[in-house]
Amino acid sequence: MIELISLMFEVSALTKIYHTGRVELRALDGVSFSLPDGDLMAIMGRSGSGKSTLLRQLGLLDRPTSGSVVFEKKEVTRLSEGERANLRLSYMGYVFQEYALLGELTAHQNVYLPGMMAGDKQNNYQARARELLDLVGLGKRLKHYPKELSGGEQQRVAIARALINRPKVLLADEPCANLDTVSSKAVMETLVRLNNELGVTIVLVSHDPADRKYTKSLIVLSDGKIVERG
Amino acid sequence: MLKSLRVAGFLAFTSIKKGNFGVVALTVLILTIVSLNLLFVPSLLNGLVTSANDKLKNTYAGDIIIESATASSLIPDVEGLDNSIEGINGVTSVAPRNSLGAELSFANQRANVVVLGIVPEQEKTVFTVDKHLIEGSYLEAGDRDQILLGAQVAGADRPKLELYSRSLKEVHAGDKILAVYANGVPKTYTVKGIFYAEFIQADLQAFVSEAELETVNPQFAGKASSIRVKIDNQASETEVVSEIGKLRDGLRILTWEDYAGIVRSMTDSFNVINTILDVVNILVAAITVFIVTYIDVTNRRRQIGIQRAIGITRSSIALSYLLRGLFLAIVAAIAASLAFTYIVMPLEASHPFRFPLGNVYLVSGLPYLARAGLTLVVAALVAAFLPVWLALRIRILDAIWG
Repeated sequence: MIELISLMFEVSALTKIYHTGRVELRALDGVSFSLPDGDLMAIMGRSGSGKSTLLRQLGLLDRPTSGSVVFEKKEVTRLSEGERANLRLSYMGYVFQEYALLGELTAHQNVYLPGMMAGDKQNNYQARARELLDLVGLGKRLKHYPKELSGGEQQRVAIARALINRPKVLLADEPCANLDTVSSKAVMETLVRLNNELGVTIVLVSHDPADRKYTKSLIVLSDGKIVERG
Repeated sequence: MLKSLRVAGFLAFTSIKKGNFGVVALTVLILTIVSLNLLFVPSLLNGLVTSANDKLKNTYAGDIIIESATASSLIPDVEGLDNSIEGINGVTSVAPRNSLGAELSFANQRANVVVLGIVPEQEKTVFTVDKHLIEGSYLEAGDRDQILLGAQVAGADRPKLELYSRSLKEVHAGDKILAVYANGVPKTYTVKGIFYAEFIQADLQAFVSEAELETVNPQFAGKASSIRVKIDNQASETEVVSEIGKLRDGLRILTWEDYAGIVRSMTDSFNVINTILDVVNILVAAITVFIVTYIDVTNRRRQIGIQRAIGITRSSIALSYLLRGLFLAIVAAIAASLAFTYIVMPLEASHPFRFPLGNVYLVSGLPYLARAGLTLVVAALVAAFLPVWLALRIRILDAIWG
């Protein structure tokens, strides 16, 4: 019996070249892979290997020099800025390395802002933001501003924010890079729980080999090329 | 659009609430000062024009001037025409005048004037010259051999008068002066009074009673060189002019504005000055908002990048800055309107500006306040939009990571 696997991403010959004066830097060099629904995949590699560049291509924060990214069977590399913003808002959650919370908003407001943008009803997005902050263990820190939270707490607020619009995929760029061991463990366990309990597909960038144990699949990049799959 | 507006409003509100209070307060203060300037200059110029116009109408021209349009410079059957004009809806009163050039002399000083023959009681219903006496008293119907002089003619020992050097210099009420009329008739007059209306054209006038002037030129009997008409404040000058025109042929009917081109050119000049100052003020307001927004946007470039990365649309972000600019401008406009109405205007009213034509009071009202407020808001919106538009053109990654 053949089981049909639904694919979240299909990446084909993805190349990204940066030009600095006459110097050409191939950050991604013909990367191809597929990501099934429900996966928890790590992108690993040394510093400068192209991990974050690849994640930004998946998160539609940047455009490739060539190649294609198919998201949910739709080619997305040539969409307009507005269409890409809509896709990011409705289907993707992005967690930045350095938390990237909005300093003038409370934890609760940071989480529900994308819900407000998506046009959800006020009661719905505010209640869901509370649930998500509960889920990441910050139910009692709703009214706290980012500067009043630790690095690990800020990163968990960022994860809750990424989930507010029930995204199909969560993209996390070295979410534990600036955290201590205890906070890192809490964040990674949160991601695993989200993957297992909510079925959210997760792609995370990490340079820490210890994170392998949390993931279901893996690609390793070196000089913009995939050198290992697992 | 509604959700964009909702998000924009939310972002603008939190940015004002949690932003740097000092920056917000300073911005509002600068915009308030600019707005006050937008109110003050037109109000002052308008006050000046209004004051000049009032002086012109009340001491020199009247509201409507009727002259002969025929070969004869005199209007015949003036009493009948006066009665007809007074019957027109909107006309308050009329005052016929005759005029004859004369050279006045006192001691060694000479001055050329046009002596006006008036009916004092009618004259007082059209003009307010009788309210500006600085010496002596006003003319009466039966006065003979008496003359009423403007201060710029008499001099009255007031060297600071603009035309003192061309006046009779030391004439006071009770002095006797010699008048030699253009028809060669000499008359010696006792100066009955001197008036100072603080309006040069008015203060260059000299009055005798109509009966007195008819002794100089008997042809004036029953006729007038001109008829001055006063109308209700609510009456339309155009309509009254039209009605007077129907009464009789051979009349030239002018409004005070037609008659005194000097006021029109002064008003036009003030409007040009006002426009130039408005443009400067608007530029100051726009540049202020631009700088504040530019610094704010530069400081928040990363935040804007993050907002875009999590799916906040460019229009929402731009709108949030516009709403912020709008808020600052509205607060400043309201503050300026209140300060102008309840502080500046009462203060100026108790210490009015002195101009050659007398005290000038600020003239304002809802249209002025609305105009200044609207100008400030439009300038603030345009100025706030430019830096945001530039910031939103930057790639998300550049905005977040530089």
